[in-house]
Amino acid sequence: MIPSSIEALYELCGFARVACEADLVIALEVDGAGRASPVASSPPHDFSCFNLARSGVFDTKWSAIPVTANAFRLPTAVVHALPDMPVSLLFVPAPVEHAPQSGLLLLWTQPPSPAPLVEHVRLLASSIASTLTSRREAVRQVAMRDQFNDLLESVPSGIVLFDGDGQSAMINERAAGLLACSPGFHRASELVAPMRALRERCDNHAELEAAYASQVRNVHYAAIQHWVLGDRTYEVDTHPVSGDGQHGRIWLFTDVTAELRIAAKLRGLAQSDPLTGLPNRRHFEERSAQILTAAGTAGRTVALLMVDVDHFKQINDTHGHPVGDAVLKAVARRCRDVLRDQDLFARFGGEEFIALLTLATSDETRVIAERLRGAIAETSVVVGDLSIGVTASIGAATDIPMNSAISGILEPLIAKADAALYRAKQGGRNCVIVADGPA
Amino acid sequence: MSCFASLHGRRTGAGKTPAILSHGFGTDQDAWSALRPWFEERFDVISFDLAGCGPEGAESYDFDRHGSMFGYADDLIEIIDELGVQNCVYVGHSMSSMIGAAAACARPELFATLVLIGASPRYLNDGDYVGGFEQDGLDELFKSMAANFQAWVAGFAPMVVGVDDGEAIADFSRTLFQMRPDVALNTSRTIFGSDMRDTARRVPTPVHLIQTASDVAVPLQVGKWLEATIPNATLDVIDASGHLPHMTAPEEVLRIFERRLTGLLS
Repeated sequence: MIPSSIEALYELCGFARVACEADLVIALEVDGAGRASPVASSPPHDFSCFNLARSGVFDTKWSAIPVTANAFRLPTAVVHALPDMPVSLLFVPAPVEHAPQSGLLLLWTQPPSPAPLVEHVRLLASSIASTLTSRREAVRQVAMRDQFNDLLESVPSGIVLFDGDGQSAMINERAAGLLACSPGFHRASELVAPMRALRERCDNHAELEAAYASQVRNVHYAAIQHWVLGDRTYEVDTHPVSGDGQHGRIWLFTDVTAELRIAAKLRGLAQSDPLTGLPNRRHFEERSAQILTAAGTAGRTVALLMVDVDHFKQINDTHGHPVGDAVLKAVARRCRDVLRDQDLFARFGGEEFIALLTLATSDETRVIAERLRGAIAETSVVVGDLSIGVTASIGAATDIPMNSAISGILEPLIAKADAALYRAKQGGRNCVIVADGPA
Repeated sequence: MSCFASLHGRRTGAGKTPAILSHGFGTDQDAWSALRPWFEERFDVISFDLAGCGPEGAESYDFDRHGSMFGYADDLIEIIDELGVQNCVYVGHSMSSMIGAAAACARPELFATLVLIGASPRYLNDGDYVGGFEQDGLDELFKSMAANFQAWVAGFAPMVVGVDDGEAIADFSRTLFQMRPDVALNTSRTIFGSDMRDTARRVPTPVHLIQTASDVAVPLQVGKWLEATIPNATLDVIDASGHLPHMTAPEEVLRIFERRLTGLLS
């Protein structure tokens, strides 16, 4: 497209030069500010851009007759393209929308013998203008395609683009890597198998098959799925171009492995207590809702235990905070070791821990609480050269959640267990008090 | 804004005959400070910064127009027309040498004589023509310029100054740094990619070439080629080194001026 319009301009210049016996003919694209880009010339010459605003060319009323050149200030590049100083010149305006001062510049280094065709050279104006316009359009198309390709390659995702006609498709470098085929244009049918193969390689391909199978007849469907390929996860976004399947379909493959890892890490950080690694109080509240719901559904009993290290302030004051921290970590570890995996055990704050368990009967509550108390008190905690005896008081309360009233259960349960803990502290510490009956 | 003003033009001096001082790549019009007093006593001195050079030089630089030496020649002619001078003495250094030559071809009446310091019509070797550079070497140069302009200047400046003159090296480095790196890169591509040998063949004005005996940018053969090719030319090889003798050996350069220009004073 570009070569053909440039070629046409070279031919027009060549024709004009021969017809008018000129020494140089230049097709110029000139914008409103006089900035001129020589697009073609005869003889062919590698011109740079120049400015014609003050040359006098645009201040002249051009007829079909060449005028003497010495009244004009011609760019040095034009003078150098001639074998000798220009004697006369003629300008044929060929205005186009994007470059209103465009035209054909003819120069002679000898006074022109009245070549019979000079007065008709103006007839070329409309051809020059339309060729300049189509060249501009072609340049714009190429620039757009380059920009589009650049964009396709600079997006950090694999892109597969199916045209609306269902015949052709285009993939960028990243997608080519995933699909194990070459980047660029393909027949749509060539990409079906690699796309399917990629999906079948996914660890979660059964789930993906099901998700996409339900949409197989809907040309307008849009979906975002995670495709898990070994240790990498891709977020795969498919949607119709401009919301209409008739326009084509785009598939975007974005590697979200790192984001998912970071998100999981952040979630972990937000949910856990940095000292003991146990869930923190906020996370306890989130998780307890699930446990209560499950227990309510199954008609089972829940027990809530408040565990508070005895005389902890004294440990801190006597041995310092680092030792106090080591004691809390030891207590946390001993409790966690005693509890079952499904039991929720969290740091509630300071030296206080909280456990929520699902039990067959409320009778088991005391047994488990005693097991915790025993595990804490059984051996001293060794920190460096120190050996510190540690005990804890435990208050417990039980309830049988009803399906309908889960949300109101936790707070009264904590309050009852707290009151029982208070009584355990009053009762000489290192003991268990279980509150009576369901809350 | 006039072209002269946008290129930070200065006009000083007590003489009648106009003398235009046009600096080379990497410097600005301050490069003439050692020679300027001599000119001011005798001439009407006109100087300016080339497009892309001097403080805020990028504002005057047009990547299209200044992608060729002719764009600079158009600037020069525009300034001369604005100031309404004719028959001037033109002193050009380095890239400004061929800019002046191109302007003189297009508008001979503007120039009485050209004095060209460290001129080269083409830097690339071409068959029998020795320009001093091969394309590979230039590609390396552009690559290191683009990769780390600062590091490139640190190596380039002493090489071009060519003598152990700390002040000149510091000065040249300062004005190189003044250029926006993309403009500097494009300018050096324009210079090193230029082939102005046809221009040299056509210069209608008398030309005095000045060159040092050892210049990393311009081999002695280039000066000799220009002397043989320009229709009316003299060549003075001065007993100095480097590409910036007007800065590093001003007395040597002035001796040539005394000899070649005094007769032109009106």
